[in-house]
Amino acid sequence: MLSYLIRRILTMIPTLLIISVLVFVIIQLPPGDYLESHIAELQSQGEAVDEQKIQFLREQYGLDKPMIEQYWYWLTGMLQGDFGHSFEYDLPVTEVVGDRLFLTIIISIATILFTWMIAFPIGIYSATHQYSWGDYGLSTLGFLGLATPNFLLALVMLYLANVYFGTSIGGLMDAQYIGQPWSMDKLLSILEHLWIPVIVIGTSGTAGMIRRLRANLLDELQKQYVTTGRAKGLPPGKLLRKYPLRIALNFFVADVGNLLPTVISGAEIVAVVMSLPTTGPILLSALQSQDMYLAGSFLMFLAMLTVFGVLVSDIALALLDPRIRLGGTASK
Amino acid sequence: MMRISSHLLLLLALCSSASSYALDSLKETPSLRALVQSGELPAVAQRVPEDVQVVKLRADQSPGEHGGQLRLLMGKQKDIRQMVIYGYARLIGYTPELDLEPDLLKSIDVVEGRIFTLHLRKGHRWSDGHPFTSEDFRYYWEDIANNPELSKSGPPRALVIDGKLPQVEYPDAYTVRYSWHAPNPYFLTELAGASPLYIYKPAHYLRQFHARYQSAELLEKMVEDEGKRNWMGVHVNRDRPYKATNPELPTLQPWKIVTSPPSQRFVFERNPYYHRVDENGRQLPYIDSVVIGIASSGLVPAKTGAGEADLQARYLRMDNYTFLKSTAKRNNFDVRLWQTAKGAHLALYPDLNANDAVYRKLLRDVRFRRALSLAINRYEINQVVYFRLVQASNNTVLAESPLYKPEYQSDWIEFDLKHANRLLDELGLLERDDRGVRLLPDGRPLEIVVQTAGESTEQTDVLELIHDSWLKAGVKLYSVPSTREVFRNRIFSGDAIMSIWSGLENAIPTAENNPMALAPTSKYQYQWPQWGAWYESGGTSGEEPDLPAARELLALSEQWSHADSHEKRVAIWHRMLEINRDQMFTIGIVNHVPHPVVVNNNLHNVPLTGFYDISPGAYFGIYKPDTFWFDEVRR
Repeated sequence: MLSYLIRRILTMIPTLLIISVLVFVIIQLPPGDYLESHIAELQSQGEAVDEQKIQFLREQYGLDKPMIEQYWYWLTGMLQGDFGHSFEYDLPVTEVVGDRLFLTIIISIATILFTWMIAFPIGIYSATHQYSWGDYGLSTLGFLGLATPNFLLALVMLYLANVYFGTSIGGLMDAQYIGQPWSMDKLLSILEHLWIPVIVIGTSGTAGMIRRLRANLLDELQKQYVTTGRAKGLPPGKLLRKYPLRIALNFFVADVGNLLPTVISGAEIVAVVMSLPTTGPILLSALQSQDMYLAGSFLMFLAMLTVFGVLVSDIALALLDPRIRLGGTASK
Repeated sequence: MMRISSHLLLLLALCSSASSYALDSLKETPSLRALVQSGELPAVAQRVPEDVQVVKLRADQSPGEHGGQLRLLMGKQKDIRQMVIYGYARLIGYTPELDLEPDLLKSIDVVEGRIFTLHLRKGHRWSDGHPFTSEDFRYYWEDIANNPELSKSGPPRALVIDGKLPQVEYPDAYTVRYSWHAPNPYFLTELAGASPLYIYKPAHYLRQFHARYQSAELLEKMVEDEGKRNWMGVHVNRDRPYKATNPELPTLQPWKIVTSPPSQRFVFERNPYYHRVDENGRQLPYIDSVVIGIASSGLVPAKTGAGEADLQARYLRMDNYTFLKSTAKRNNFDVRLWQTAKGAHLALYPDLNANDAVYRKLLRDVRFRRALSLAINRYEINQVVYFRLVQASNNTVLAESPLYKPEYQSDWIEFDLKHANRLLDELGLLERDDRGVRLLPDGRPLEIVVQTAGESTEQTDVLELIHDSWLKAGVKLYSVPSTREVFRNRIFSGDAIMSIWSGLENAIPTAENNPMALAPTSKYQYQWPQWGAWYESGGTSGEEPDLPAARELLALSEQWSHADSHEKRVAIWHRMLEINRDQMFTIGIVNHVPHPVVVNNNLHNVPLTGFYDISPGAYFGIYKPDTFWFDEVRR
C-alpha cells in the first residue's frame, strides 16, 4: 500500500508538468495578448489609448519576452507559492481569488447536499419500485431538471424571487453587506439569496445522480445474495441498506475526484448569469481577456485538485471495498 | 466664452465666472459636521479655494440640498473608471453647449494659440487637504513626462509640436506657463477629454515612490513587497488617476474612492475639498456618496428594472426600453431617451487596402461605393430593426454640430436600385451567373464578405436586410462573425474586403476639434488600415496613401494643426467633410440612435434629454453630476 501511494504521488509530478505546459500554451493560442484585448476594449468604448503607456505595461508585465521565458517565470514562481500577477485586477492572483473562494465553497457544498438529499431517496425508490408510476414520474422530473437550460431557469427564478419575495437580483447578498464583516443579518441575507443558485445548479446534477444510483442498485438487487437474504426473511429495509446500497455507492466514492474541482470552480455559466461572487466568473473573464497568469494559475489549481481528488478516491475505494485489489501490492 | 482680439498677438482668453463670493455665507455640509466639530476637518470656508467656483445652474435645474447615496451598476471592476468620467473635474472642461470653460483652473490665457498661461485657484486643495499648486505641474513635467525611465519615448504626443517640446515655467505657486514655438491645437481639447491628459499629479504623495526623491533601499523594499520589476512599476501602479483603483491617491474629483479592489461593491465618498459651490453657499457635490455595484453586464438591465440603480445608462440598450418602461412605475424611476453622438451607429467599411487585387480595384472606384450605398434600403432597416426611432444617414457630423450641412447627411443614401444597377453596369460588371449575381472581370461572382465583431445580433440583422437589397443589384453579401481580436487582425492583414462597425466617434465637433478621424491617420480606421498605419508609424510600416482624395485629406489634416484662425479651421473641416461625402469612403447606415437613461424619481437635476457619449460629453460628465441631488425621501 505504501509503495503504491509513493508511486501514485510520483506520477503526479510529470502529469502536472504536462498539464501546466498545455494550460499555458492553450491560453496563449488565441491571437494577441492581454494588452491587445485591453486596447480593443478601450477602443470599442471610444476611450483614448496611450501607446506609450501600453508599451510601458508590456515591459512591466514581461509580455515582450519570448513565451518559453514567460512560462519558466510562471512555473518557478508557482513552485515558490507565487501564483503570479493578474493584469486585469493589477493584484496578485491569490488576492483576486482569495475572497471568493469561501463563498464558492459554501455554494458548492450546499448544492452537493441538495443534490444528494433529492437524488438519494428518489434513486432508491426508483430502483426498488422499477417501472412503477412513481419511478416514471420521478425520473421524468429528474430529466426535466437535466433538460432545462440552467441559465434560463436562473433568469426565471431571479425574476420570480424579485417580484414575489423582493429579493435583489443576482449576487449572493444584499448590496449593503458586501465587503462588511460577518454578522447574523449578513448570514440571513446570504441564505435568502443562496437557495436560487443551489436549486438551479442542483437540478441539473440530480437527474444524473438518480440514474446512476438506480442502475447500480438494480444490478445489485438482482444478485443471488439478495434473493437469499429475502428468502431468509430479512426485513426489506435492512436488506437494502446492509449490502446492495453499500455496494452501489462505489460509483459515488469514485466521483470524489471530480467533486473536488467543482467545489472550487463553481458552476461558471450559472454564476455569470446570476452574477454570483464566486470564482467561476473570474476564470471566464480571465480567459476572455487573456489575463494569462490568473487563468493559468487557476486552471493549474483545478488540475492539482483533480489529480489529488482521483488519488483520494482511489485510496478510499480500496479501503471501502476489499474486492478492489491494488495491482501487485495486495499482500496477505 | 471666447474672446478674440485681433492684435498682432492673437489673444485668446478664457475667463471664468467672476468669483467675488462671500466665504462666510458658506453652509457646512451636514454629513461633515461631526468631523469639523471634532477638528479632523477644517470648516468649509477653509476647505474651498479662495477663488471658489460658483456653479451657475441651468434653467431646468434647481439648487438642492446635501445628502443621499447614489447607486450605480457596472459590469466589471475595471468600470469604476467611469467615476472619473462622470465626475468630470478637468482643468478646462466642456459645457453642455460644448464650449470650453475653465473648471479646476481659475482662468487660462492663450496667446497666438501657442502660449498657454494657466492660473490656479488660490487655496485649492487635493482631497487629502494638501495644496494644489504649480509644484504638481512641475512634478509631472520634470519627474514623469521627461523622466527617461518613466516615459521612455518622452512626453505624450499632444505636448509635442513638430518634434519640439514646450518651454514650461512656474512663475509662482498659482501660475504655470506652457510655450510652444508654434500653435498647439490639441492642448485644450486634450485637457478637456473624458480620459484627459493629466499634466498635473499629486507631487506630495507620489514623491515617496520616485527614485529621485526616495532612498534606494526603501524603493527596493517596495518593489519586493509588491512583486514589481522595478520602481517604475511601483510608481505607475500608484499613479493611475483614470483607473481610480488607489484609495490613497489624492484627487480633485467630486467623489474619491474608499474601497480597495477587489470588491463587488465600490464606495466613493465626497471630496471635502472640492472647488465648486452652488449659489446658496453649499459646497458641491450635493450627494454624499456613490456606490457602484458590480454585476454581470447581462444582468444590469434586469437589476435596473428592479430599481437597483438610481442613474443608469451603461449596459442598457435600446431593446431594453420596453422592459424598463414596464417596470418604471412599480420601482419609481423614469426612463429617458438621450441621443448618441456617433457619426453612424453602424457603417460599412470597404477596405481600400484589401489584399485581393480585383476587389481592391473595385472598392477604390467611387462609383462602386456609391452603388453599394444606393442599394441599401435604410428606410426598411429603420422600420424593422429600430422601431422608426433612428435616422438614415451617411457617416458624418450630426445636425447638432455647427459644421453640419444637409447634403453631408443625405447624399447617396436614398434607396435607388435603378441608379445602383446603372453604376454597376458602367463599371463593366455586366455578366451575371444563374443566381443573378454579377461576375467580376476574372470570372468570380461578386460576393462581398462583411466581417463583424460578433458582438450583437443587431449587426447581423441589419446585414441580412442589406443582403436582400444588394442581391437585387447583383451583389451577394455574406457576413462572418468572429471575436473582436480576430476581426481586427483580419482587417489589419488585408484579408477583409469589408467590415461593419460604428462610425465617427465624435460627430458633434466644432472646428476646434481635431478632424484627423476624417483622414487616414490611424490603423483602426477600417476603410484604410494600411494608410493609417503608415501615418501612425511615421512611414515605417503600412503603405503610403496613393489615392488623390486620401492624400488631400491627410494634407488637410496637417494644415488644420497649423491653422492660426477659426475661419481657416472651419474651411478645412468643410473641405474634409465634402471629400468624405463625395467619396463615400465609409457607407453610413443610420445614426441618431437613442440611448435609454434610467433616473430615479427622487433624483433631481438630471436633464430630460442630452447626449450620452464619451466624446464629447464624458457621458453624464458635462451635465455635472455634482449638481444632482436627492429629495428628503432618499437623504
